[in-house]
Amino acid sequence: MKQQQMDGGARRAVFAPVDNRARVDAVVRRIGDAIELGLLADGEQLPGESELAGQLGVSTVTLREALMALRQQGLVTTRRGRGGGSFVSLPEVPGEERLKVRLRGWSPEELRDLGDHWAALSGTAARLAAERTEPDDLVQLRRTAEELTHAEDAAACSRVYGRFHVELAAAAQSARLTREQVALQTEVGALLCLVLGDDEYREEVADRHRSVISAVQDGAHTSARELAERCVQESTARLIALRLTL
Amino acid sequence: MRSSPGLVPAATTTLVASVEEQVAAQVGGALEAVFEAVAETRADTAALLARVAAERRRPATVDLAALRPGLHLRLARQELVSGVGFVAAPGLLTDVPAWLEWWQTTAEGGVRPLLLDLDPNQSAYSDYTHWDWFALPRDTGERAVAGPYVDYLCSDEYSLTLSAPVEVAGRFAGVAAADVYLRHFEAAALPLLRRLPGPAHLVNARGRVAASADPAHLAGSLTKGPDFGAVLERGRPARHDGTRLIPCRGVPLVLVTAAG
Repeated sequence: MKQQQMDGGARRAVFAPVDNRARVDAVVRRIGDAIELGLLADGEQLPGESELAGQLGVSTVTLREALMALRQQGLVTTRRGRGGGSFVSLPEVPGEERLKVRLRGWSPEELRDLGDHWAALSGTAARLAAERTEPDDLVQLRRTAEELTHAEDAAACSRVYGRFHVELAAAAQSARLTREQVALQTEVGALLCLVLGDDEYREEVADRHRSVISAVQDGAHTSARELAERCVQESTARLIALRLTL
Repeated sequence: MRSSPGLVPAATTTLVASVEEQVAAQVGGALEAVFEAVAETRADTAALLARVAAERRRPATVDLAALRPGLHLRLARQELVSGVGFVAAPGLLTDVPAWLEWWQTTAEGGVRPLLLDLDPNQSAYSDYTHWDWFALPRDTGERAVAGPYVDYLCSDEYSLTLSAPVEVAGRFAGVAAADVYLRHFEAAALPLLRRLPGPAHLVNARGRVAASADPAHLAGSLTKGPDFGAVLERGRPARHDGTRLIPCRGVPLVLVTAAG
């Protein structure tokens, strides 16, 4: 089921050529994210080294370094001999240590930029939603805000957190903003587990979401935008602060 | 889609109908053709589920594969339809907790199945029972038009979804449905709206604009003021503050024009 979920486009994007900067890091992040998100299924065999290097547009040496890093993170195992190769291996629990290794793959500047992009998307979505929303549109957002407080663990919490921002973009009636928000959540979602383990902060996020909903309901588009931006900026700030301790 | 699909004027249009009423009837006719695809899917599914029940067993996903030839045919035949299928009520099937037997057209003109991750431990989007296209037919027992809305579950498109309940032995088993992308609906509706002398747009029961030839009321925005739900319930043209409101026969859309 999970493997089928990736359509041809998503799968091709996984193996599209990586740009020139920081090739090893980029390959590690691309494949690591794809595994984390289930685009590459547990146990799935990766293409052979030369084929994979060709698809990603990197040298075999770069690819080997990336595979070594992925092995160290426990996301890939390599078997030798007949029927051998590199296989996706998803550890059962998304270990906090593993996520910290992923976070270390982002520089503070990249995280800041990610946060800026996210704030732009969610802030604009909140403003438009305040202009275009009628009460029935808010039912899903309310449900999501409540689910956040009851989420079982940090992983579930980060999925629901992401869904709130996707639903906000949908409430803005914008398919483009929604698609961008979905793509952005696939990048930031796993990392957010690291800051959402804190119960107090989880409550704070739920409160911030509720106040965004209230502003949207009141048609207060300026404050809806500011509240959504602040919510996102706070999460990004927490991620950057954590990154600086690593 | 470059040209508008052939629109069938409603048979009930009378000779004295105003041009506004004719346009409203033609918009209704365009969506009526989509509802035919929904009705066929509903009939196929109900017959299939009744057959399975007659064998004294419960259905599984493999049974639903029998719907595919009909679904593919409807996608090919109905220009406005970009997705069609049956969405099972949770618990209906023996092998999975939830399922969409759903097919979509591809950009290349082919068809492909929609395969979602419906595992609640993996996906935050596994529960689809609150979406209007599912909840409205389930709760009312009637066919429904959901949207326009951003469909981030199935197509990532701004869409209308037309749906109807499927029942087996009087029990709700799920919904038959068809997706119309809003850009396609607008392409079909715009030539009709442009026939009107003044600016005109179409709204749903909640006032959300579904198609517009009026730059002051673009698709996705809200037209506030009139109670469009009441206009649809009465089924007769009405006036509100300098505008004429004409219900589109058979579908929950209202044509809004400047009162002449």
